[in-house]
Amino acid sequence: MGLFDKLAGWLGLKKKEVNVLCLGLDNSGKTTIINQLKPTNSCLGEKNWCHLLQAQAQDIVPTIGFSIEKFKTSSLSFTVFDMSGQGRYRNLWEHYYKEGQAIIFVIDSSDKLRMVVAKEELDTLLNHPDIKHRRIPILFFANKMDLRDALSSVKVSQLLCLENIKDKPWHICASNAVQGEGLQEGVDWLQGTD
Amino acid sequence: MASVHMEMKDSAVSSSKWLDAHYDPVANLYTFSSCIALADLHGDGENKLVVGDLGTGASNMKLKVYRGTGLLSENTLLDLPTGLVSFLMDQHEPCTPAIAVASGPFIYIYKNLRPYFKFTLPTLEVNPLEQDVWSQAREDMIDPMTLKEMLEGIRDKADIPLSVRSLRFLMLEPQDMEAYVNLHKQQPIRRQTVITCIGTLKKNMADDDAVSCLVIGTESQEVYILDPEAFTILAKMSLPSVPTLMDVTGQFDVEFRITIACRNGNIYILRRDSPRPKYCIELSSHPVGLVRMGKNVVVGCAQETLHGYTQKGKKLWTTYLPAPVTTMAVLDLPTRGFQAVLVGLANCEVHVYRDKNLISTIKTPDLVTSICFGRYGREDGTLIMTTKGGGLIVKILKRTAVFDDKDSAPGPPIAQSIRLNVPKKTKLYVDQTMRERENAVAMHRAFQMDLSRMRLAAARAYVKALESSLTPMSASLTEPLKMNAVVQGLGPSFKLTLNIQNTAACRPVMNLAISFLYDENLYSMRTAFFKIPLLVPGLNYPIDTFVECLSDKGISDIIKVFVLREGKSAPLLTAHINMPVSEGLALN
Ligand SMILES: Nc1nc2c(ncn2[C@@H]2O[C@H](COP(=O)(O)OP(=O)(O)OP(=O)(O)O)[C@@H](O)[C@H]2O)c(=O)[nH]1
Ligand SMILES: [Mg+2]
Repeated sequence: MGLFDKLAGWLGLKKKEVNVLCLGLDNSGKTTIINQLKPTNSCLGEKNWCHLLQAQAQDIVPTIGFSIEKFKTSSLSFTVFDMSGQGRYRNLWEHYYKEGQAIIFVIDSSDKLRMVVAKEELDTLLNHPDIKHRRIPILFFANKMDLRDALSSVKVSQLLCLENIKDKPWHICASNAVQGEGLQEGVDWLQGTD
Repeated sequence: MASVHMEMKDSAVSSSKWLDAHYDPVANLYTFSSCIALADLHGDGENKLVVGDLGTGASNMKLKVYRGTGLLSENTLLDLPTGLVSFLMDQHEPCTPAIAVASGPFIYIYKNLRPYFKFTLPTLEVNPLEQDVWSQAREDMIDPMTLKEMLEGIRDKADIPLSVRSLRFLMLEPQDMEAYVNLHKQQPIRRQTVITCIGTLKKNMADDDAVSCLVIGTESQEVYILDPEAFTILAKMSLPSVPTLMDVTGQFDVEFRITIACRNGNIYILRRDSPRPKYCIELSSHPVGLVRMGKNVVVGCAQETLHGYTQKGKKLWTTYLPAPVTTMAVLDLPTRGFQAVLVGLANCEVHVYRDKNLISTIKTPDLVTSICFGRYGREDGTLIMTTKGGGLIVKILKRTAVFDDKDSAPGPPIAQSIRLNVPKKTKLYVDQTMRERENAVAMHRAFQMDLSRMRLAAARAYVKALESSLTPMSASLTEPLKMNAVVQGLGPSFKLTLNIQNTAACRPVMNLAISFLYDENLYSMRTAFFKIPLLVPGLNYPIDTFVECLSDKGISDIIKVFVLREGKSAPLLTAHINMPVSEGLALN
């Protein structure tokens, strides 16, 4: 069973659709993370089978526009919007804010140069009218923690000024999406929010 | 470093167009825009910053590569770099660009950051006389002192300059000469020039990943184009002066344009199939920066000006800058279809110009010596600057930044520079102009004559008026008087007030009388003659009288007033009162 199976349980959203937006700059590891979160057994449809193959082959290509991943667990139907992080596609994000019920924001913690860009995009997100006044949970993954020059999750949250987010539940955890490390912790946190 | 990062973030203005990604004031990076490039050196989609570091003084010259905020590698350079470019030598997989560093007469080519090839400029012709004296020295036929004298003689009159070896020799102290001669006399003399600037030119395709030739300018006033793989000379062109700045566009096999700023203050434009410059732009001061903007060339000059020229050398505009230019670069964002010119200024500002309009100003903590804009890491709109103090500044253009095309520089409004739609000159206008041009002297004379006549007529009339005291000012010295008259009423009854003043300093006037002259069919006056009392100097005497208009035909006339002195027939002064038309109905 994949991680989202558990999520289904604790979100208490039985037989209900949960929309999760996966945001972050290009190359931060969004698609890799989603592939890890997907159920690994073969009880799924053809489409997911393809993705599974992709993940196994470690052949993840930059997302164009966005891709929607749907998968059902015993009790829940998940829709994850895997948005492309490339500059020219980032203006697509806001069109999905309304439907989003949770946000996963992925940061490449080894890309110090673009930490300001990640912060800028996060600030734009937080100030968007469709997000600003909602208590929408945000899960941050300080991804690529395995890389030598990666910043710690504490440092990342400092640089992104996460302490200023007062009106939304948020959580940050360091992760290595390739190995699947740290993802469980993040999902466990989401479980506690609902 | 991290603390600096945080500080900069705090001070950043939220409305700014730029994000402060990185600032290291002690990066120990000393370079110019000609020695800085961005390239995907490892073919991983992440651009690295490649810098030819001039070091401090004559040491510490290095080829440095940055990845993100950190230094990735360093290679020692043997000599000061004069230019650095990244280019594709071939299209073999993996398609990673090579780095060419020009220094002295050499170009060092690096592939995968390892030395790969060294190109040496062809040697120049050696003066036969110089060759001669050195061969005499080799045979020990002349001593160092004679060698020195002969070389000095050659230096002073030869058209082919001396080699570096001879020039060095001439600088030596006498005691060092012998050893120097013995050390060098066996080797052949070579005369070499050095590279002053370097650029790249696509070979036969315009794509981003097309193979490029190197284009080099030399101190010997020549331009060479080198084959990308074999480094043979494909073309050679001559210039009237030493090239200093260069911009290259086009493709070698198709058509190209090399725009070169030279040390004589001119800009030359070279084209394919012309060994000499095709166009020349003569600047009023020395060029210090040169970039291409689409089809135009933008030049920064030493006199704090920025000029725009067409590619044929026609001047389009000039902008005046607040400080001298330190360096220039082009801001090109093809994904957003945006191009502008970045100008580093000596007042610690970087200005962004679109044509002649200043669209953004960036303040820098130190004087900027080099600017490079492009894709760095994974960010397309990255601005990299190095400073005089060796600092490195990286800013990222916000995704949402928009530039108004409006000029934000203080100065005259745009309306002032809009051309008015002046109509074409008519035939009449042209004829008149011709006539004026041809008969200018006669016209002037006629005018002067008429002017003199008019003055004479005016003077005569004035004298006549004075003589007959027809003015309301008395001209006599003994009775200086002033009078004015006011008419009140709508008619048919009018009140006439005469204000009389004695303008003498202290002498009173007496024995004066006033008399009126008018058309008796039109007006009637109760008293048309009365005496006036003694006039004390300086006081105003209002004298009222009443006039009755007798006509109801809506006509009016003049009433003349005379101030008279007893026993004299000529009046002291005269006033004409223009009576208003009677608007009321005549009584009865
Ligand atoms: N070392 C390391 N590499 C990772 C990690 N997560 C992702 N990557 C790699 O980062 C690259 C980009 O990952 P993607 O998942 O395509 O990134 P993305 O955020 O979906 O990018 P876009 O679709 O362009 O927005 C891939 O080569 C991944 O293998 C990680 O935790 N550690
Ligand atoms: Mg993706």
